[in-house]
Amino acid sequence: MILYLTTILLLLLIAPILLSFIKSLKMIWLFKRPSSIFQGYRNFSKLLTKETIISQESSSITRYAPFLVLSPLLITMFFLPPIVEGAYYVSFVDAFTITGLISLSTFFLMLLGLDSASAFGGMGSSREAFISALVEPAMVLTIFSVSMMAGNLGVGQAGVNLAEHFPKEHMASFIFAGISFFILLLAENGRIPIDNPETHLELTMVHEAMILDITGVYLAIIETASSVKFVIFSSLFVSLFMPWGLELYAPMAILVFIVKLFIVATVVALLEVNMAKLRLFKVPNLLGIAIVFAFLSLITFYVLGA
Amino acid sequence: MVDFYIGLFLASLIVALFTTRLFRLLMWYSFNSLMLGLLALIIGIEFNDDGLIITGVLTIIVKSLAIPYFLKKFSQQFHIVREIQPEIKVQYAIMLIPAILVFTFYLAEPITNMILNNSNHIAISISSLFLSLLLMMEHKNVAPKVIGFLSMENSLFLLGVTATEGMPMIVELGIFFDLLMAIVVINLLFTREEIKND
Amino acid sequence: MIELLFTPILLMFGLSFIKNRKVDKALAFVSFLILIPTISFLEIPKPFNLFGEYLIVDDLGAYILFVSSIVGVGVALSLLTLKKHVMISQKAYRRFYRFFAIFWVGLILSILSNNMGIYWIGLELATLSTVYMIRTNHSKMAHKEAWNYMIVGTIAISLILFGIILIYASAKPILGEEAMQFNLLLAHAKDIKSPFLFEIGFAIVTIGMFVKMGFFPMNLWLANIERASYYPVSALFSGILESAVIIGFFRFSKIMMEINYDHLFIFVLIYTVLTIFIVSFLIFRTKDFMRLFSLSGVEHMALITLFWVSGGVFPALLHFGAHAFLKPALFLSTGVLESKGKYKIRGTLKGYQGKRGKLFWILVSLFLLAVISLPPSPMFFSEIYGFGAMIEFAKKGDYLVVMLAFIFLLLILLSIIFYKFIEVYQSMKYEGKEEKKEVYPSEILALFIFAIALVALLTPPVINYLKNIM
Repeated sequence: MILYLTTILLLLLIAPILLSFIKSLKMIWLFKRPSSIFQGYRNFSKLLTKETIISQESSSITRYAPFLVLSPLLITMFFLPPIVEGAYYVSFVDAFTITGLISLSTFFLMLLGLDSASAFGGMGSSREAFISALVEPAMVLTIFSVSMMAGNLGVGQAGVNLAEHFPKEHMASFIFAGISFFILLLAENGRIPIDNPETHLELTMVHEAMILDITGVYLAIIETASSVKFVIFSSLFVSLFMPWGLELYAPMAILVFIVKLFIVATVVALLEVNMAKLRLFKVPNLLGIAIVFAFLSLITFYVLGA
Repeated sequence: MVDFYIGLFLASLIVALFTTRLFRLLMWYSFNSLMLGLLALIIGIEFNDDGLIITGVLTIIVKSLAIPYFLKKFSQQFHIVREIQPEIKVQYAIMLIPAILVFTFYLAEPITNMILNNSNHIAISISSLFLSLLLMMEHKNVAPKVIGFLSMENSLFLLGVTATEGMPMIVELGIFFDLLMAIVVINLLFTREEIKND
Repeated sequence: MIELLFTPILLMFGLSFIKNRKVDKALAFVSFLILIPTISFLEIPKPFNLFGEYLIVDDLGAYILFVSSIVGVGVALSLLTLKKHVMISQKAYRRFYRFFAIFWVGLILSILSNNMGIYWIGLELATLSTVYMIRTNHSKMAHKEAWNYMIVGTIAISLILFGIILIYASAKPILGEEAMQFNLLLAHAKDIKSPFLFEIGFAIVTIGMFVKMGFFPMNLWLANIERASYYPVSALFSGILESAVIIGFFRFSKIMMEINYDHLFIFVLIYTVLTIFIVSFLIFRTKDFMRLFSLSGVEHMALITLFWVSGGVFPALLHFGAHAFLKPALFLSTGVLESKGKYKIRGTLKGYQGKRGKLFWILVSLFLLAVISLPPSPMFFSEIYGFGAMIEFAKKGDYLVVMLAFIFLLLILLSIIFYKFIEVYQSMKYEGKEEKKEVYPSEILALFIFAIALVALLTPPVINYLKNIM
């Protein structure tokens, strides 16, 4: 139980660092002076002290929505697979619940964007709806197929099973699921081929457009939510697709896990440096590839058993 | 480990179907052949089959390095259009590709029942044959069609490796020779203007 | 022996690099030399191991190689005057010969091979070398069709390889590495443990070959290609390349007959009747020579496969020989008939002066009438024997009436083709204006060789030879 709670706390603490890490890594690769990897914390504390202004046109939703964006994600944190062998975990939560919780958070984010009644907010919300509608089927399929390979529909149990018995005989479908899930990781967190988190250019922004009118504490909450989302996705990726090193001594296992999280972040940064952002109407192509791979993984598993 | 390479083989073929740039397509083809060569090498080492090891090395050298390099050179030399938009829209391709896969997997089921070892790899190689046919179908330009033909050759090679643990050495070498011949002919077909001037 | 076979080809390949106008005649002469080994193959005791177990000369291979080499000689003769009829640069001409040499290598490999893999390699080599031959014509259409041939031809060839791999996989458990060899496969066909796998492989091989020969769904692609290329290339296509394909069909289907004769027969019967059905109406609507001849070539190939699978080895081979001599002869004469790119049919047989001209038009009209199997032609006898073989085959089962109905349908379709050819002939001879045309001696010689070969097909020694092939 202690390990379980420590893990969640640790993930929460790491969440802002991961995003700042990606940012500073990208700056190094672009020959810029890198920002500190603790920039996330600095932003958070600065935003907490700032005044909170709410648009006159907005309704009470703006006041509730940030909390409702964050809370489903926080709940999801409790359902993640364990990172150390023998730790407590919730075994019965399946792909649909996790996807549902994440889309609940997205739903309130979209509401928040619409509520401020600015043109940007609506635009951002509609784009977000467009993307997440394509993400969800692929995500359900992918997690489902990995859970099938692990022999249990519960995501937590699946993670444990994978760590105990790595499915070498299902390597092909495992790879397809991995590719699909990585694309989803990029799409859901608004990383570069889908959305650029650093720009405020009207033509391209998706996530930023929705939170353009939010200030102060609310903005801090939303920023936290987005970093928590990244940590959820990357830790799901790590525990489902790189499930080794759990049987080590507890602090060692946690360290290995964190290193793997940073590896994922490095790969994301590498992709962001090397790729251009896709045109919005090209995004379905990429997500289509994700859906194809998710489906492919499921049918290779079922039909061929490979 | 064999599954790993076969998975990446199919994955790179599927990604190639969605590619809209020629050089990216060449890169995926090269990756595809690299996976094939590694696969042949691994199976060859496993069964201690010299022929398969040689063909694996040849595949890596010829198909994943030489052919993409020459095709890239041709496309620069003859100013081939590099933006290749698939004729089949992506939203249809998303539906079509899983349909092809499911279809071929069930089509291959009676065959796979008959071959005891690596039965499912045959299904994958048949489906990759169909996917490379789709790659040829969905492009109007010549260059991606050529790559479709080459990846068809790859999937046949995969079938040869997995269904029969490699064909006799002399046949494999002959197939390589034919492939090089094909490249020469493709080069001659591209050089249209040069002959006209003499 | 093998040196004798490949020396002329290597010589041809080497000579094609010499930049001298006089080399043209030497090249043509060198291609004559191929006749020496092919004739000697007819004489030697068979089977003769030419190159280990890989290349074996048997009766069937020797016959088909001989036929092909005669066609090759005829084509080489007509190449001498190619420059007088069409525009072609010296460089392209020499390169044409270079690819002609490679074509011969592929052809010999595929005709004499005892190994499925080597058969395939030869076929692919021959196919790829013809791609460039189409390109010697510099028209835009030829360029497009060369690509077309490259793509479709290689798809067909890949299908054949795919089937070969499946067949190999089906026979590997009992034969090991030697499962590639035709004679061993034939001997052990009954022992194959998974006949279904073999049948699927065979079906895929056959479909690949049928696509390559222009059967049912792909009727027009060969016609378009032959239209776009120069006439010697079309002659090569119909005379030689298809012989390389059909010998593969002969060899594969022999093994298939051991495994499941009924499946083979029904498959081929439906496929060929469908092909002839479509082709006969396509022929009825054609407006130029090349398409007419190439579609009629498709029809003949369909008949040959049908006769072969009904057990009529003799009629199939006789029909094959007649087809292989008649079609190139007609294609070569289109070079004169359509000289300077005029595609019209009316009055093309008029206006030939002198002895040469007269001989030319008589020969062409004889060929035209022979190709639709008017009685003295070998095609007439082969069709009679072929339909006889079909009826013999049906007598063994319970479907004699169905078979008679099929034969009746085929006769109706053949009469459509007959009608069209007679109409074309009449319009060539009796309509249109007279124009002066030139015929060169080498062309007459080529046509003459084909005519003699055709007559020779009906002499007793040839018939005996063909009847002994099994």
